[in-house]
Amino acid sequence: MMNLLRAEWIKLRTVTMNWILGIIAIAFPLVVTLLTAYFASGKTDNDDGLDTNGLVGVLTGTAVVASLLCGVIAAASITSEFGFGTIRPTFAATPRRMRVIVAKGLVALGFAAIALAIVQLVGWYAGSTIADARGATIDLDTLPTGVPAMVGAVVLGALLALFGYGLGLITRSTPAAVAILIVWPLIAEPLVAQLLVVATDNASIRNWTPLQAGFRLVATDGFVDGPSRVAGGVYFGAFSLALAGFGAWLVDRRDA
Amino acid sequence: MITVTDLTKQFGAKVAVDHLSFDVRPGVVTGFLGPNGSGKSTSMRCMLGLDRPETGVTLFDTRPYRTLAKPLHEVGALLDAGYVHPGRSGRNHLRWLAATNGISRSRVDEVLELVGLTAVGGARVRSYSLGMKQRLGLASVLLGDPQTIILDEPANGLDPEGIRWIRDVLTHLAGQGRTVLVSSHQLSEMALMAQDLVVIGQGRLIEQSTVAEFVDRYGEKWVRVKSPAPHALHEPVRRQGGEIEEIDATTWHVRGLECAAVGEMAAAHQVVLHELSLQTGSLEEAFLKATADSQEYRSGRLADAPAGEVGPTS
Repeated sequence: MMNLLRAEWIKLRTVTMNWILGIIAIAFPLVVTLLTAYFASGKTDNDDGLDTNGLVGVLTGTAVVASLLCGVIAAASITSEFGFGTIRPTFAATPRRMRVIVAKGLVALGFAAIALAIVQLVGWYAGSTIADARGATIDLDTLPTGVPAMVGAVVLGALLALFGYGLGLITRSTPAAVAILIVWPLIAEPLVAQLLVVATDNASIRNWTPLQAGFRLVATDGFVDGPSRVAGGVYFGAFSLALAGFGAWLVDRRDA
Repeated sequence: MITVTDLTKQFGAKVAVDHLSFDVRPGVVTGFLGPNGSGKSTSMRCMLGLDRPETGVTLFDTRPYRTLAKPLHEVGALLDAGYVHPGRSGRNHLRWLAATNGISRSRVDEVLELVGLTAVGGARVRSYSLGMKQRLGLASVLLGDPQTIILDEPANGLDPEGIRWIRDVLTHLAGQGRTVLVSSHQLSEMALMAQDLVVIGQGRLIEQSTVAEFVDRYGEKWVRVKSPAPHALHEPVRRQGGEIEEIDATTWHVRGLECAAVGEMAAAHQVVLHELSLQTGSLEEAFLKATADSQEYRSGRLADAPAGEVGPTS
């Protein structure tokens, strides 16, 4: 398995597009967080400026975008193999396809988790340093949900990578996988959620759609309705794992 | 040794490979021939477990491909030189491939050197010509120094020097006792390179034999006769059942009689001969004859087309 992990890591890091997406995934949340820390920290007559909740909120909110980009990288890691035909030498070199699928998935998940961990660590320390210097009061002890939300952002990155990877395994097409990855949270899930609300006359049911449940991982408040942070993460993780498992089964039985 | 038994592959209602069985012995280059769409590439993919066949099994020295733990050390296969990410360098393509089977990075540099791509190993594959991609593909085949080699149209896109080089490489590898199976449409090249042939048509085995046996069975044979007085022999030859084709004033071809029979007739009639030789058809002729009933895509005859109907209509 170590050989396969090494091979998949070489594949991931030797494609320029992955570097570009990876850099954007890391840079976008950091730039937004640091700019927010700088410009929103100054106190005014009407505003106390940036607080801990605000800083964590920006950091975890932008992490959702970073996570989606990691999902794109994960999806493309398998769809590009089908697109360029490299899946054939890949499976010829390792006939036990499940080993390749698992190794590729682990590398994509690991990449996403590390990218999000960098974002959270660098974003927090640099953001709080800037905000402190600008006169804001930033203290994680005042926000019990702060650390869990930032850890949740790392987990969400890994799970969205798994989600994207599953879509890639099923569709075997980069445009299709990326389109679904974008359309799902923006249109498909809200639409389904609204239909469920109308059908059941229960507004809190929208919190139980898979991605909405997954987004609980990065929430700092609002746990009244729907799953808790851990339950939401487990639910979305199980959904993504099932999606990837179904995709893996398809790839294993189809012609390469 | 490759043993293919009862391989069948269907795509919907279309039977691409139909109960195909053959074996490939080590120590020689075996040509895998068939018209377009005859199922050569599909067969190769099935042999390597890339396509899932409906029936059949392929054994590489008694083991199915799927059971090989590090297959690059045992079977080197090149199905299409284009199966490379264009944004990746040739060296990195070989590195990930090598990593899957625990092959060292130094071996990557060795095979790049072997195929003459060291200087461009760091360049992205999108800048490679088709010939360079074929060389990169051959480098990937040689990575694990395998005992069995399977190549699908390896000479595609190569210049004459490249074609000769690949012929020399494969002949050399077969000479080392390896099993080499090569598909190609370049029959003249195959005639120079292969000792054995597997010929298929519409997914079915047409013939498995040596090249000499195949040409002997399907190729045309005739006797070439050159004489300053050829007409003196025409009548006796016809009486013996020979068919005469006049080439020029002194040369004619005889079909239906052996060389010895024509020679004895010439001696009996005291006819001077300047040449008496047995001629055999080419591998191409034998192939076309053997696969005449299996051609899925047949070309129209340009000579039969009305004037002006060959070019674009507008």
